[in-house]
Amino acid sequence: MSHIKIDKNKCKSCYLCVDVCPNKLIQKSNCLGKTGEFVVEFKDKDSKCTACAQCAMMCPDIAIVEVVKE
Amino acid sequence: MQIFSTPKSIKKDSSFSFCPGCDHGIAVKLVAQIIDEMNLQDKTIAIASSGCSVTLYNFLDVDCIESPHGRACAVATGVKRAHKANGKEMFVFTYQGDGDFASIGLSESLHSALRGENITAICINNTNYGMTGGQLGPTTVLGQITTTSPMGRNIEYHGFPIKTAEHVALCEGSAFSARVALYDIKNIINAKKQIKKAFECQLKGYGFSFVEILSNCPTNWKLSPLDSHKKIENELSKIYPIKVFKDITND
Ligand SMILES: Cc1ncc(C[n+]2csc(CCOP(=O)(O)OP(=O)(O)O)c2C)c(N)n1
Repeated sequence: MSHIKIDKNKCKSCYLCVDVCPNKLIQKSNCLGKTGEFVVEFKDKDSKCTACAQCAMMCPDIAIVEVVKE
Repeated sequence: MQIFSTPKSIKKDSSFSFCPGCDHGIAVKLVAQIIDEMNLQDKTIAIASSGCSVTLYNFLDVDCIESPHGRACAVATGVKRAHKANGKEMFVFTYQGDGDFASIGLSESLHSALRGENITAICINNTNYGMTGGQLGPTTVLGQITTTSPMGRNIEYHGFPIKTAEHVALCEGSAFSARVALYDIKNIINAKKQIKKAFECQLKGYGFSFVEILSNCPTNWKLSPLDSHKKIENELSKIYPIKVFKDITND
């Protein structure tokens, strides 16, 4: 199953990845990050992630540390 | 299969000092990826400048020198020439803001281009002085409100903004000059391609290569990261066209 790995300590809650994901698999979580805002989380119940890596290309803080295609 | 992982030339456990959603982070990431891909990590000397990217050496894992405000191209010239005199060919690039490159450092920047100095300059154009709190900079567009132009930039008082990439292209010593943006994936891919070309120009010894990166500044523009990207797409990219202005490798 293709997936991404998010480093919660690096996420600054800019939400650019939320907008860029073509399948809307990234969303706000209910976990507060270091900027005092909710960090993002990856939810892919139906295995829709294609490992296109657009989120990793867009993330300005390299908080999406890994994209794996399987 | 691993499609993406943190670039090797980004220091382990470091995190960027930029504001949330700032394009500086995307630009540094692209530079790190290209250094990895071109296998340049051991022979690179990066020249950091004053501005938001002042602590570049904290996250970029290459040799780095901090230059006084505006003097990055002058420092790069010295570094490049001194190594050459010792028989070592180093890869030298500067990473600067627009205030650094085109305001206080305009003279050393343009003269490096005119001399055809074999270095690469990367300039982040966020249309203000980001680090010091969003003052009017040389690239602030007409009508734009900043802390030192509360009524907006006007022609009578402040004059016109500078189009850096076009000016560098006019210098006979420059080999490559392009403007890129980072507001969507298509532009990020293009930006990576152009930065790579600029780096190749230096490796082949063609002369001064320059990439201006049209960036956002969510904090000082007082917009969300997403809205600031929309502003670049809809307004700024019309004023600052995204284009390759000079590429002698094509001729
Ligand atoms: C000689 C000198 N003058 C002024 C300053 C104050 N200063 C520090 S950063 C900066 C502006 C940098 O703006 P820019 O180059 O556009 O980079 P950005 O922060 O927007 O990335 C200024 C004026 C300084 N450090 N040194």
